Amino acid sequence: MKKRQRKFRANSSGQLLIVAALAIAILISSTAIYVYELSKETNSEDYSAISNFVLALKQSTRNAMISSLANVSNGGKKNVLAANLNRLSQVFRSINNLGICQLAFTPLSDSNYDSGTWLSWNISDMGVSSAYANFTLELYGMAMNVTLNYAVNVTTAITLNGYFTKLSGNEKLVNLTCNVYNKGEPGLAKNMTFFYERLGSWLPVDLSDNLSIMDYGNGTCRVSFTISTPSNAVQVSAHIYDVRDIFVQANTTCYEI
Amino acid sequence: MKSQNRGQIRIIEAFLAALIIFSSFAVSSNLSVRQNVNKSEDLASIGLQALVKLDSDGSLSKYIDCGNWTALRDALNIVLPAGICFNLTVYNDQMQQVNTAVISNGGFGSQQIAFVQYICASQSMVFRCYIIHLHLAVAT
Repeated sequence: MKKRQRKFRANSSGQLLIVAALAIAILISSTAIYVYELSKETNSEDYSAISNFVLALKQSTRNAMISSLANVSNGGKKNVLAANLNRLSQVFRSINNLGICQLAFTPLSDSNYDSGTWLSWNISDMGVSSAYANFTLELYGMAMNVTLNYAVNVTTAITLNGYFTKLSGNEKLVNLTCNVYNKGEPGLAKNMTFFYERLGSWLPVDLSDNLSIMDYGNGTCRVSFTISTPSNAVQVSAHIYDVRDIFVQANTTCYEI
Repeated sequence: MKSQNRGQIRIIEAFLAALIIFSSFAVSSNLSVRQNVNKSEDLASIGLQALVKLDSDGSLSKYIDCGNWTALRDALNIVLPAGICFNLTVYNDQMQQVNTAVISNGGFGSQQIAFVQYICASQSMVFRCYIIHLHLAVAT
């Protein structure tokens, strides 16, 4: 009997070793999987933090461009854009908890843009105020290094066209259609002023001229007013501030229909 | 000799069992820490996205320029999900505090506090940079 028990124990000690080996194998593989998952999770968290940071940075650069264009279009100096972007870049360099942040920029200079801004107000029927700059973000973090190139374009444009109908004597009813665009999409105007040319001088159109402005809220507005001028071609100018305080103007010549 | 070996195997088995138990403890404690970190980072992400949303039309800098702290608090209350406490401090680019009133919607009862640093550039003609510190916690 004792001999049989001893034989059974000897047999089952081999099985025990196999079970122990199996347990160790499971332990090692589960540890390996856990470590792999953990490293993957850390990476995704880093990506999330960096993508959020980039989103915020792009927003700030866009705001700086809007501010600069509003300033330049209202008579500010052209170097305002570079000065504002420099200041923003310094702030990002001085405080960033993700690592060392270098934001470089190049204001566009070509046939239209000068130091990153383009004010085109003298072309007939159309006016453009625009700012454009290329940015390079270099982020040297603990977890990873990121280099990102992007461009920011802020543009407000208007188109202006119209005609007049003769009333009595020199009196004319002018009808205008004005469209406001932000980067090609319909935009909103905050303030509109209209002028017309009479005997070589520009006169503002006001309520005494029966000024009527119908803003459709989709970037289009129809304007009508009555003026007294002997000319057969009426020069009209629209001065518009969009909702971001960016100024743009356009001129058009109205003829009788 | 065989009986001596059997004793050694028992010791090895006991050692392995202890190892398994301790490693399971170690793994489970790590897992709980990981989840807390995730919660905090989610909260920070929510806070940052709320600030970006407010800043997208320039209203964030307008509230600060005007010193309209009540409107800023109300706007944050609307943009952030319900049940999140916040405390916001605005600094200028010289790191001097700008807000003259507390911008908060209540006390922080939670142990999990997320921190968000946001740089707000104004859209107004006079360019200004603000550094915003936002602390967030889940209301308990």
